[in-house]
Amino acid sequence: MNILAFRSCLIILLGVPAVAWLGGRWGRRLGWLPSGVLMMGLLAGILTGALQLGSSSSLTVDLSDVAPFAFALEVDRLAAFFLLLICGVALPVILYARSYLPRHYDDVKSQWIWALSPLFLLSMVLVVTSASAFSFLIGWELMTLLSAGLILLDGTSKERLHNLFIYLVMMHVGAAAVAASFFAFLPVSRDLYFSSIRASSLLLTPETRTAIFLLAFVGFGTKAGIIPFHLWLPKAHPIAPTPVSALMSGLMLKTAVYGFVRFSFDFLGGVPGWAGYLVLIAGAVSGLLGVLYAIAEHDLKRLLAYHSVENIGIIYMGLGAAMIFQANHIPAWAGVALVAALFHTLNHALFKSLLFLGAGAIADATHTLDIDELGGLLNRLPTTGITFLIGCLSIVGLPLFNGFVSELLVFQSFLAGSTLKTLPGQIVLPLMAGVLALTGGLAAACFAKVYGVAFLGRARSDAAKTAHEVPFAMVSGMSLLAIACIGLGIFPAPAIELLISLVQTLIPAASLPSELFGFQRFLVPTAAAVLAVTLIAMLAKARRRVTAPWACGLPGLTTRMQYTSTAFSKPIRAVFSVVYKPDRKLEILPADRPYFPTSISYRSVRTTSFERSLYRPMVDVVVALSTQLRRWQTGNIQLYLLYIFLTLVALLAVVGLQK
Amino acid sequence: MTMLIHILQALLIVLGAPLLRGVVSKMKARIQRRQGASIWRPYADLGKLFRKEDLAPPLASPVFRIAPRIVFSATVVAALLIPLFRPSALLGGPGDFLLLVYLLALARFFLVLGAMDGGGAFGGMGGSREVLVSALAEAPFLLGIIAVAIVARSTELAGIVGWTLHENFFDVSAVHILAFTTLAMVAIAETGRIPVDNPTAHLELTMIHEAMVLEHSGPSLAFLEWANSVKLGLIMSFLIGLFLPWGMATSASMPSIALSVGIYLIKMLALAMVLALVESSVAKMRMYAVPDFLGIASATGVLAVVFTVFGGK
Repeated sequence: MNILAFRSCLIILLGVPAVAWLGGRWGRRLGWLPSGVLMMGLLAGILTGALQLGSSSSLTVDLSDVAPFAFALEVDRLAAFFLLLICGVALPVILYARSYLPRHYDDVKSQWIWALSPLFLLSMVLVVTSASAFSFLIGWELMTLLSAGLILLDGTSKERLHNLFIYLVMMHVGAAAVAASFFAFLPVSRDLYFSSIRASSLLLTPETRTAIFLLAFVGFGTKAGIIPFHLWLPKAHPIAPTPVSALMSGLMLKTAVYGFVRFSFDFLGGVPGWAGYLVLIAGAVSGLLGVLYAIAEHDLKRLLAYHSVENIGIIYMGLGAAMIFQANHIPAWAGVALVAALFHTLNHALFKSLLFLGAGAIADATHTLDIDELGGLLNRLPTTGITFLIGCLSIVGLPLFNGFVSELLVFQSFLAGSTLKTLPGQIVLPLMAGVLALTGGLAAACFAKVYGVAFLGRARSDAAKTAHEVPFAMVSGMSLLAIACIGLGIFPAPAIELLISLVQTLIPAASLPSELFGFQRFLVPTAAAVLAVTLIAMLAKARRRVTAPWACGLPGLTTRMQYTSTAFSKPIRAVFSVVYKPDRKLEILPADRPYFPTSISYRSVRTTSFERSLYRPMVDVVVALSTQLRRWQTGNIQLYLLYIFLTLVALLAVVGLQK
Repeated sequence: MTMLIHILQALLIVLGAPLLRGVVSKMKARIQRRQGASIWRPYADLGKLFRKEDLAPPLASPVFRIAPRIVFSATVVAALLIPLFRPSALLGGPGDFLLLVYLLALARFFLVLGAMDGGGAFGGMGGSREVLVSALAEAPFLLGIIAVAIVARSTELAGIVGWTLHENFFDVSAVHILAFTTLAMVAIAETGRIPVDNPTAHLELTMIHEAMVLEHSGPSLAFLEWANSVKLGLIMSFLIGLFLPWGMATSASMPSIALSVGIYLIKMLALAMVLALVESSVAKMRMYAVPDFLGIASATGVLAVVFTVFGGK
């Protein structure tokens, strides 16, 4: 049963491109075919994940006989969780894409998207279910290339190509680090099957273990968008077609979390304490800077991309806490922290996809993503507005929504840091709760801004004034995700129990503390009480009248007088100005009469300090080296033949000397 | 019996909150040598507002009417978490202090949304300032509670209060002093009192909370005002429960409960007096001085957590 479901999932995902191609030939009547088939494949994947998450035996598919190299898949509990996450979140996204794509792309492009996105999903499935380094790395590389292909379909302007180039370069640096961390096992491991890697990890020297951990940290951190490796994320995510943005931000980042957990907890079987602090601090920095950068944005998709940096930061904070507890031999709390991190991974996949789809719906209805051009959309797009509000409440981590439960668990594991025997952990972990609280407060500020400016108040442009609700399939895709957010926010216990059984396979002997289920005592009563009081308050009858808003008694209040997102975030940007360092340019013409100007122009460009002080020098070094190398690249074929000859001689000399 | 006491606690804090506000106003008036309005005045105001019509700007969405009700309900449910005269409450469980902090955040989120829906210029202005203050107040708020929670070895408000109750007042630790300083400063910011915000501001440009409720009227405004009173009451009770729980009833017998209710009321009155004195003697800060104020609160919060390493003694 399980194996059948898994195989059909793989085969269907692989077959959808052919279906899409055939569907394209048979005309528009069969436009539903690829999405329908794809959804069936995803359902099979959901079934596999759900069954395997509850079962103690793992599922294997070994293709090493057919493939020219070690190519094997295995679905253990960890893989099953991520399989469930990928297929479960992709399903509503695909439902949404079904009616989104025909509205925005011509037939040829839609066909391409329907051909590439199932393969993109398949590559993610491959990454999380691989049982050998080769299949993992193939999936990892395909994931990058296919998403790049999908980004290209949305246009090839110079700026987009530049962003795509940054994406590809950084992904390949990351992939090189991941590959290197696999190959570092080779001296002690027989082959690169995961089972041999796991068995050999005890034979590694401490130095090799450190090297493997650091390579995995850099490699997976690049994919996850941890600061300072985040540079590509706000550049690449916003420029993809909307459903693909949702898949990239909601799911692709999670494969990095998977890889990092697989390496740190499964292969290495725990890492030393300093590594935990490294991950914790990296997470805290990402969380705080991610949300601060997000607040300054008014392009909705880029803002959401920065929030992915923030949420990955929260996940990494949970992982770091788990590592610290494990290194200090407190497996129970290590388990709680890992459950918290994995649960937040699931929650982030749900609400971030929901918000990206909402952004797509806004773009669909108003043709802009600049929230300063919007306003009053809730009246025009009621269902999108409600689901988007649920997404906002979830990502902010407010009670009764799923983000709250995972942040609660992270907070509790930080608090348990006071039971550690070592001094730094005793202080650092509880203080991290303060960092997380500040991050949460700033996220609330950011989403109050997004929702208040885009959906409430009065329309700031004609496009927003005349917007229309998006079609049913798009709305239902968003609604499914919103329902999942509320469901996991009020009844998280089943999901958490499954996660506990998963975590116990990674951290042995973790009988988890009862505090883990403390929320059960108040979550449902709180939900009931809030709902009841709100309903009673709504019953209070009153005569209603419509009047103009207060304008100090003067006439002529225009929609431009409402606070924009830039104005709304100004106090926070002023307080945290040290983070932003904008390049401002104010030009008043004519210069000799500043009080009677004929024209004033103002430009403010924000390049993050990372771009300026970290990446710019690195790029300069690479460019300088390349310029030097160009001297050898004359284009003269005789010279190249000489190089080949010299190389050959050198190699022969080396071989001869060795003998 | 215990259930009855819990319900009584909840009712007292929700229904008595306007009275607390009336008492603070009266005290302030007397300190400033004015006669002042009756202490029952807030009830009369609420009654008047509930009878008036509900005005809404054109094009306002349903959020404009729902938001004040959610603000009210989230605040009321947060009040159910606070132990008043017994070291237990209607709602609670491990980690419930986070629920308290985040229910207040939920209320605030909808308060800001309701303000932004008005479509005028002042709603956004008030909302923008409110999110700055609250974003900066959240970290010291949690750090203060966490420091006390670590010393008390409990993540439950009722457990923390119960632990403190069994300690000697004169054994009070550095952690408690620092945490109290932190939370008192946070309480001023959270409830929008002087010197962070002026609840009786009359000029729109200086307002924070008042600017947000500017467009609301009638029952909507009544719910917002009532929620604001409940918030003041619950945060003051929270401070008392966490740092001055002595006098709470440890048994559920009638006389001990009656005594503890009396002691609770005296403590509230004393704290109201302190609030009135502070509000009468300090001027409101500039908006951009508030981050410094909350920065000090964060620093004492961090110190409180650091000092827990020494066992809180």
